[in-house]
Amino acid sequence: MMRRALLFGLWLAFATACGDDKPDQPKDAGVDATETPDAACFENPQTHAEIINACTTAQKVFKKPSLPLLNQDGSLPQLPP
Amino acid sequence: MRGLTLSLVAAGALSAALAATPRAAHAVPCDQVAGLTNPVYLQVGDTQLSLMKRLARAMRDNTPRPVSLIFTTSGSCTNIRAIYDRTPLAAGVNVQYVPSIAENATWDPATSATLTCQVPAGGKVPDVANSALFNSACTTETPPATVHHARGPVQAYVMAVPKASSQTAITFEEAYFTFGFGMGGMAAPWVDESQLFIRTVTKSTLLAWAANIAVPADKWKGVRRDGSPMVVADLEASTSPEKAIGILGAEVYDSRRNTLKSLAFQAKGQYAAFWPDSSPTSFDKRNVRDGHYTVWSPTIWMDTEAGGAPVSADARYVVDLIAGRSVTPAPSFDMTAVIAAVGLTPDCAMGVTRQFEGGPLSLYKPAESCVCKYEALVDQSSCAACTTTCAAGVCRNGFCEVR
Repeated sequence: MMRRALLFGLWLAFATACGDDKPDQPKDAGVDATETPDAACFENPQTHAEIINACTTAQKVFKKPSLPLLNQDGSLPQLPP
Repeated sequence: MRGLTLSLVAAGALSAALAATPRAAHAVPCDQVAGLTNPVYLQVGDTQLSLMKRLARAMRDNTPRPVSLIFTTSGSCTNIRAIYDRTPLAAGVNVQYVPSIAENATWDPATSATLTCQVPAGGKVPDVANSALFNSACTTETPPATVHHARGPVQAYVMAVPKASSQTAITFEEAYFTFGFGMGGMAAPWVDESQLFIRTVTKSTLLAWAANIAVPADKWKGVRRDGSPMVVADLEASTSPEKAIGILGAEVYDSRRNTLKSLAFQAKGQYAAFWPDSSPTSFDKRNVRDGHYTVWSPTIWMDTEAGGAPVSADARYVVDLIAGRSVTPAPSFDMTAVIAAVGLTPDCAMGVTRQFEGGPLSLYKPAESCVCKYEALVDQSSCAACTTTCAAGVCRNGFCEVR
């Protein structure tokens, strides 16, 4: 479980580090219709974070939108008043 | 599966407009309508209209205990207040009911309009009120001791776009910028606030989404609509389909799949986006049931009690049926089939739960599982069939359920 969580963390780190220089052209990375579980998933989920990232054969979409207002650390800015 | 698909699509072809506009000609007081025996008045969310129509039909012809459901729709928060404060439906206001088989054998809950009668003189406090989300999302006050609560089937919510849109998914962060900032959020292509079709602040659809994308209900940007049919109409009529997006109950969307499509949603901290169902074309709500799709709420059903006993035994009978509890006498219809047919998920088929709107998910094992039966109704079940006993699990409704 720990190894899987570590791999998942690394995957997330790489995923969020990838930039996109075309902010006005959002793109969906495409539908994964292969119905195979993803490598970065949890086989025996127990917590919320593991449940939503549990292994599944369901179709999924990998999306990495370009959001200019995201803070540099990836956090969200406060909502406007 | 094919039957369910056809049923939902057929519903979409005709029901949105018809269901929202019950036949109102010559409405008379409900207590003067012949045949409306054992009336139970309900005030429910508009996402529950399909359930009301199908259940009302079944209850009128429920031979062991016929009950006439007389219902009206309003926002969940309004419904909660109605039963907490005992606010009566005003005399003369139109409410809906459906015909029995004897009265109209061809009436179809998926495509036919409801009938209308008027609240009798003196008004009527609803016997049953429904919230399509946790009550705590509307009010944090302690409920009156006289209000009995039951958790009913799970209601999923979707973000829908016109069929012509090329979009397939939306992330938590995109939704935050789209609806929290509007045009200024620069979350292309959803940057035109006239193309963001949302709901008013008492509606479960908005409140559920608000809790899942961290944008308070009163902060949302977009065009606020009072009813789901209006959001459907907005999306279908949009001349900018790529920029258009709206929020709907999943069962409302399920009936409009011929003109709309739902977006897969990627929750905060999730590695991919998922639809409520295991694919965009299925109806199995598998991702709701196992936690991959996070935007859902239990429906809450409330009736009044005094001294621990229900004020209306018929109302409690209806509430218990919806909540999946055993009732006496057993109904002459299959309640799980009714729930599955309208796009809701029975609690007994859920594998996850939560304690408040948008709250963290945890694993859940219902006391008496109906996963096999539910899957057989909406797709196909891989469970072993049985008649009396199973090598493993419990034989129930023809399937070997895990418990």
